[in-house]
Order: sequence, then C-alpha cells, then structure tokens
Amino acid sequence: MKKILVIVLTLILTVGIEAQQSPGKNHSKLNISCKTCHICDVPTKDEPCLILCPREKISTVYQKPEQTPELIVINQISDRYGPVYFSHKIHAQMSVMSGGCENCHHFNTSGPILQCNSCHETARKREDVSLPDLKGAYHRQCMDCHREWSHETGCNSCHTLKKNLKEAKHEDVKKKFAGKEHPVISEPTFITYQTNSDKGKIVTFYHDDHTNKFGLSCASCHKQESCTKCHDVNKKTDAKPKLVSTKKTFEEQHKNCISCHSKNESCTQCHSDKVVEPFDHVKRTGWALGKYHSKLSCTNCHGSKLPYKKADNKCLSCHHGWNNETFKHSVTGLQLDETHLELSCEDCHAENNYSEEPSCTNCHEDYVYPKLKPGKLVRK
Amino acid sequence: MSGKSRRDFLKKSAIIGAGVTGLSTSTTKAAPKNILSEDRMGVLVDTTVCVGCRNCEWACKDAHNLPAGDLEAYEDRKILEAKRRPDHTTLTVINEYSHGKNSNLPVDLKIQCMHCDHPACVSACIVGAFSKQENGSVIWDTDMCIGCRYCMAACPFQIPAFEYDKALNPLIMKCDFCFDRTKEGKLPACVSICPVEALTYGQRTNLVKIGRDRIKRNSDRYIDHIFGEYEVGGTSWMYLASKDFKELDFPDIGRNPAPGVSESIQHGIFAYFVPPVSLYALLGGIMWISKRRKELEEEGKI
Repeated sequence: MKKILVIVLTLILTVGIEAQQSPGKNHSKLNISCKTCHICDVPTKDEPCLILCPREKISTVYQKPEQTPELIVINQISDRYGPVYFSHKIHAQMSVMSGGCENCHHFNTSGPILQCNSCHETARKREDVSLPDLKGAYHRQCMDCHREWSHETGCNSCHTLKKNLKEAKHEDVKKKFAGKEHPVISEPTFITYQTNSDKGKIVTFYHDDHTNKFGLSCASCHKQESCTKCHDVNKKTDAKPKLVSTKKTFEEQHKNCISCHSKNESCTQCHSDKVVEPFDHVKRTGWALGKYHSKLSCTNCHGSKLPYKKADNKCLSCHHGWNNETFKHSVTGLQLDETHLELSCEDCHAENNYSEEPSCTNCHEDYVYPKLKPGKLVRK
Repeated sequence: MSGKSRRDFLKKSAIIGAGVTGLSTSTTKAAPKNILSEDRMGVLVDTTVCVGCRNCEWACKDAHNLPAGDLEAYEDRKILEAKRRPDHTTLTVINEYSHGKNSNLPVDLKIQCMHCDHPACVSACIVGAFSKQENGSVIWDTDMCIGCRYCMAACPFQIPAFEYDKALNPLIMKCDFCFDRTKEGKLPACVSICPVEALTYGQRTNLVKIGRDRIKRNSDRYIDHIFGEYEVGGTSWMYLASKDFKELDFPDIGRNPAPGVSESIQHGIFAYFVPPVSLYALLGGIMWISKRRKELEEEGKI
C-alpha cells in the first residue's frame, strides 16, 4: 500500500514539475513556426536550442483581460523602495489594442504563464548578460509606455520610499483596483485623412459604419497602438488633431484597409478631393431601407465578399418562402381585407416586382392604387 | 596566469638586458602598458533602452566622493534642455536628443570616458601617469600627474577635465571605470544603479556579440552600427542607437587609433635619447667651434 502511495505521489510531482517547465505536450502541433523558439532544425529534449525571448504571437498565452489577476504585488527585489502594486487587469484591457498579452509575456510557449524571474536573473552581476536582469526587465516593461505619456522618469509614480510606506498601503491599493474596469472608449463617427495621393487628397473614413455595419472589433484594426494615442499628460481633448507626416510605405499605409478592401479597387473609392458624405442607401441605390432592413448588416443581402454584389429589388430573391399565406401584409402598412387575402401576390404585384406600384386592373378595370385600397391602412 | 608570468619574465630580462648593455630602461617604459587582454571588460550602452533618469550621475558622484546631493533631486528633467559635458564635478552626464526611428521617445545618451583600447591620453601623458589596465580601464596616477593637461587635448572625446578652480594641487578628473570597485569584484556604480540595465557590463568580446545580436533581431529598433567596436581602434564602452551617431554629437572619427600619428612622432623623437643626445651634440659642436675660433684668434694675435 505504502509503495503504491509513493509511486502515485512521485508521479504527481514529476507531472507537476514537468508542466511548469515544458511548453506543453502537444506544442509541436500548434500553429507556430518551430523557428519561433528553436534555433536548430531538430530540437531534442536534452538540447532544445532555444532562442531567447521572441516577441511574437504565441496564441496559447492569450487570456481575456477579464480572466486575468486584478492586482499583482511586485516585491522580489525591493530594497530602497517598498513593493510595487501593479494593476494587471486594467493594463491587460489596454493591451488589447496595443500588442496584446505578449507585449509583456513575450516568451511564453503553450505551457503555463511564466514568471519573469524564470528567465531574468535577480543578480545584476552575472555570467550571462545577454538578457536584462530582473530589475532591468521590470523597468523596461513599465517605462517604455509610462515615460511616453507622462514625460517623466521619476520613481515615485510606481514606487514609495520604504520610509514613507504605511502599513495599510496594500489594502488601500487593493480597494482602489477592486472590480475596476477600463472605461469604454468612445469611437469617432468619421475621420478625415489628408493624404498625398494624386487620385484625391482626402479620405473620409466612416468609423462607426465599419464597427456597426461591418462588425469589426477594435483589435481588428488597432493592434499596435501607442499608449499616447489615448494617454498623454499634454493631451488636450478639444485640440484639433495634429497633422503627422509619416514615411510609411504604400503597403504600410493601406494595411488596415487592404485586409478587407481588395487591392484592385479603384483609388477613388476612398480618395476624393472633398469630404465625402456618409453612405446613404437611398441616394446610392434608390432603395430606402425601412424599419426592418436598416437593422441588417450589409453582408446579409450583399454577400460577405468585397466588392459587394448588387442585390435586386425582388423580395423573393431573399425571402424565398413568401406567398400570400405566409406573408403578413400588415407589415407594409396595409392590412388586406378578406377578399384580397385570398389572392396570390402576382395578382396585384405584376411579375413579383414590388418596386412598382401595384395594379388593380387585373380585376377592376378603372380602379387605381392608391386612390382605392384593397384593405385599410395600419401603423407599420 | 601564464601570460602574467611570461610578461614578468620579459620585464625582468629587459631590465637585466638593459643593465648589461648599459642602456637605460626608459625605452621599455616609453611604450604604454596597452594590455589588450581577451578578458578585458566593457560596457554596452543601449541608448534605445536608457530612460534618462540620471541615477547613474548620482551613483557616480557617490562612488567617487563627489558632492552628490539627494537622489530624488535628479528626477528634474529641466537640466536635459541644454547639452552638458562631463567635468571635474560630474564624471558622467546624460544628454537628451530628439527621437530616433520608429519611436516617439527621446534618445537619452550617457557620456563618460570611453576607455579606448589605444588611449590617446596614455600616449600623450609625458610623465606616464596614464595607463590602460588589463580589465579595460584607463586610469591615471594623481601623484605622478604634473597637470600639463596634454591628455585633455589628446582625447578624441574631450573627456579628461581639470580642477581649474583649485589653486593648490588641482587634479585631472575623469571616469575611471570604477577601478577601485571592480578590483573588489563590484560592478561600476552606474551599471549597478541603472534601473533599466541600459548599461550592460561584461567581457568586451561578448558585448560585441550581444550588440550584433540585438541589431539583427530588432533591425527596426537600431541602426546597424555599434559605436566603439572599431572607432579609434576600439573602445571599452560601446553604444547602440536608433539614429545616426553623428546626430548624437559623437565625433566623426575613423577607425585608426587616435594616438597613431602623434605617438610615432613623439616616441620616434624621444627614442634612444635622440633629443638630448642631439642637443648635447649641437651644444658641444657650438662649444667646439667657438673654442676653436677663440684659439685661432689668440694664435692670430700672437
């Protein structure tokens, strides 16, 4: 009995240790290039020939910000200063649009999330100096963003001198971040870009259409945003946006658009000499979208591929099952009387063409719609 | 160890040889120590990482018993609005430049002695007070220094400073690579305090490899140049940057060691007692000529 217990215990322990160190059992089957982590062609268990810290997306690290710890206390190397209370969850929420989890967790294979000190040594004087030590690694993660928006390098924004440290600090900070979420980011209706294009200097980008109608998530375009886009101590909310001249290549400039819009689309689709009005279904197609159709996404009628295919105005093209029995005519604002309910659609709507006025001449020679109606008007 | 004993042997045999031949030992002393050991240490300064907190300035002063003040006072970034140079009270300074490629952040640059592999100050020093040490440091002996300030003029980076404000016993001052600290196995004070480890202390040969590797892996972060790898024959302190070093006020100096020309002339002239011997020969000649003229005159009179 004892023997079995010992064997079981050792097994559990080894599995536990293994899980901490290895990147996961089937990690070779993940959709990641081996070269992301291994330098040689055939890595073995004894000689894994690992590359140090690739800052590339390794999908299995990804967690939803809401699932991550709220507050992390960093106190491994505190000497002059007390521990640092790091509000992890809010930072994770912000990272969704600026690099994601791997922004900080830059070397995590498919296993459990590694601690910084599993790679970064605590001692500054050490044999292998190819990686920064723990103190350097921590500060680099924080300072890159923090000094960008605060324009400060003072220690006090994160650290408190030990001599000024109150006993209850930890509890206070915990309360400060408990259940706190990043505020919802308000999106602009449209943005006008000034470009150098010969085909039209102005691009009017209707941001709300892209998110509401095309269903794009924030991170599908905003992947590597700088923190200063939102956070900057010098930022004035009412100030007009500064014109920034970039030296981006054509591809870089159009990267976000081209992921949906075809490269072969005409430049004038977006480029114009003036600010363009938002897309209006009536003006562009002559078809006013009613109460029901306006709720739909474009793709429901026009297919998911760009360029959208033109839809005809025959109801039956989409509503295949409609006939005089299944269609509730009152949704059009006209409730048919009993005699007319019996008729088939084509009797009034010739050739199922609903864009034309219905005609009564099939039965009533001198009746004209809408002077005389085959029922009573109701509220749509 | 074997290298050292070999050197000791050579030294001894040189002294013995000099004694036997009756020559002075000054010829062996004239060449600078110049020990370019494979193990010599260096620092790789990654200016893309430096945040310009100026903690290194404080730590340097603190380690060299210079008035340092309060560390918290160094958070004031106003001082970075003007460019500074190291002087006798501040052996290292941080200057700030506009951002480099692919970044909105300013470039912060630490300046101190580069600890050249072929130091011009060592060559220029007429009393041999300066020396390059085996661990890479370029240091000087204040007791030997006569304050001629040749080192200041010779340095391609204009680093050595002088205590002009002291009437009595003014000293040459510069970064000594924390020679006293490293001797005890400690890190240089600036390397030790740097919060982001923008300063990596290690074997110079290893640091070059690390630098090249960083450039290769982050080609959009760095320009393809390690300043100090080859400049003036190589320096112990080397730099990585996100913009051209000329824009960071680094001197545009070639790969040849700075003392190359001056040293060959100076050492050529002073070798084998040429100046004193020729001076005495000249004086002797003049004496001989004037004596002869006097004799002739006297003969003529008689």
